[in-house]
Amino acid sequence: MEQHRSHIYGVMAEFDTPDQLVHAVEKARAAGYRRMDAYTPFPVEGLAQAMGLKRNMVPFITLLGGFAGGLGGFGFQYWVNVISFPMNIGGRPLNSWPAFIPVTFELTVLGASLCAVFGMLALNRLPQPHHPVFNVKRFVHATSDRFYLCIEARDPKFHIMETVRFLQGLDPHHVSEVMDD
Amino acid sequence: MAVQEYPAPESVSRLQTRAFGVGAIALLLAIFGAMRSPGAFYQSYLMSFLLVLGVTLGSLGLVMLQHLTAGHWGIIIRRPLESATRTLPLIAILFVPIALFGMQYLYTGHGEEKGWLNAPAVGEGALSNFQKSYLTTQGPLGFYGRAVIYFVVWLGLMFIFNIWSKQQDVNRTDRALRQRFRILAGPGIILYVFAMSFAAIDWVMSLSPHWASTIYGFILVGGQLISSMAFMIAVVVLLSRAEPFSSILQPRHLHDLGKLLFAFVMLWAYFDFSQLLIIWSGNQPEEITFYRTRLYGEWGIVAVFVVVFHFFVPFFLLLSQDLKRNAKVLPKIALWLILMRLVDLFWMTRPEFTSSAVPTWLDLVVPVALGGLWLGFFAFNLKQSPLLPLGDPKLGEAIEQHHEH
Repeated sequence: MEQHRSHIYGVMAEFDTPDQLVHAVEKARAAGYRRMDAYTPFPVEGLAQAMGLKRNMVPFITLLGGFAGGLGGFGFQYWVNVISFPMNIGGRPLNSWPAFIPVTFELTVLGASLCAVFGMLALNRLPQPHHPVFNVKRFVHATSDRFYLCIEARDPKFHIMETVRFLQGLDPHHVSEVMDD
Repeated sequence: MAVQEYPAPESVSRLQTRAFGVGAIALLLAIFGAMRSPGAFYQSYLMSFLLVLGVTLGSLGLVMLQHLTAGHWGIIIRRPLESATRTLPLIAILFVPIALFGMQYLYTGHGEEKGWLNAPAVGEGALSNFQKSYLTTQGPLGFYGRAVIYFVVWLGLMFIFNIWSKQQDVNRTDRALRQRFRILAGPGIILYVFAMSFAAIDWVMSLSPHWASTIYGFILVGGQLISSMAFMIAVVVLLSRAEPFSSILQPRHLHDLGKLLFAFVMLWAYFDFSQLLIIWSGNQPEEITFYRTRLYGEWGIVAVFVVVFHFFVPFFLLLSQDLKRNAKVLPKIALWLILMRLVDLFWMTRPEFTSSAVPTWLDLVVPVALGGLWLGFFAFNLKQSPLLPLGDPKLGEAIEQHHEH
């Protein structure tokens, strides 16, 4: 039995409409399941709230990236113009800060956006060439017209028979076991 | 008469009474000040006039922007915006004292520096031929004629958009009317900004006739958008204390308005900084005078104050999603920004008259007088029509309750 469980990634139910999926997620949360994920062809309104997704770290990482870019951009110009290679340009002070602002601004944006994109990828553990849900043949519909809820085996409440029965009670189109590999 | 849908709550009437009361008392004090020291009075008057003009014209711009973009944010504030634009007749009346009496104090320079009204014909301080032909009170396209044109443009746009909006409350499914809003809104925005750009040159930039900046009008327009959006945030939060807005206004609406306020703060900072950057890079004697008077001495302190409290502090506060959705904090930031608009206008106009950055008692009284009268008139306007545009095709969507956990 232990051996068998370790090969199961989870149980996945397939739904026809986004509303059914959101209801299924709400019921699964109410039944005590926590380790689950939903797969949809397009963003579904209310799904994130139904899943109880917490705020993530992306905004904070973006802020840090912005600060790093801005300080680095200004700092580098300051170092070049004041310390490394001081030059009198039209009698202006060496630290001619208004002239530094456009580059500082651009690097703030660059740092923030790079951190936003790569922070998001890292937190999602992407890129990930394979995922157990791909073992289910029917899952190809996740990119067109079907909506999936997968309750994962690492959920403490997970029990293969009971979870399958629970998902079948939600009026799905189909329920399949997802094998791990 | 049928029961009005979405009527303004009692608090709007109270606001009207109080605003008119405070405004009237301050106006009496201001008139007393005008008798004693007309020069100081008109300096304060110009700055206060620009503030109320800014809220009004910023609202006109946002009304047109909302017709172009049709966002939910604009449907929520469309009636307050329209009420603000209908104060334009008051603004036109408030301009009359400047045109009749104030010009001789405002556009005559101070000390050795002559203004354009009393510039010598030849020699040092004389205006160029082009300046002489533009900065003049003579002719149909002189100072007075142009002022009439600006007000005709703004009043015309204001009347058209308000009349159509009223029609839309009756003919709610009139598709041709919706189309007409959109067709006029685009050119309307261009007309508003063009007229304001020229008005900025005539009324404010001409305080220093030998100095010129092409982005000057845009700096004022950016400030006007801040004033208007900040005022709208304060108004919807005030309205949300009672029905009908208490069951309509949701955090997502404040979030949208807060995002726009954030964007306008950045837009204004961008315009303002562009001017500094170009003048700094050019380093020409006739251009740097603007910043020579404003970045050193007492005015330098005001400049740093404006940069920190008009830009950096609101910028970092408005970065936060939680604060933008917070009905307690967001209106405080908004009201603070309106105060900062006044400080910025103080910094833009006053250094042409004095090197002392200490405000006079008239700088406190005159803004309260003009602001109070304006606010009372706004509250009166707000009561005249339903608080939501009943014929807007997206009204249902805009006020739909979302489940926000």
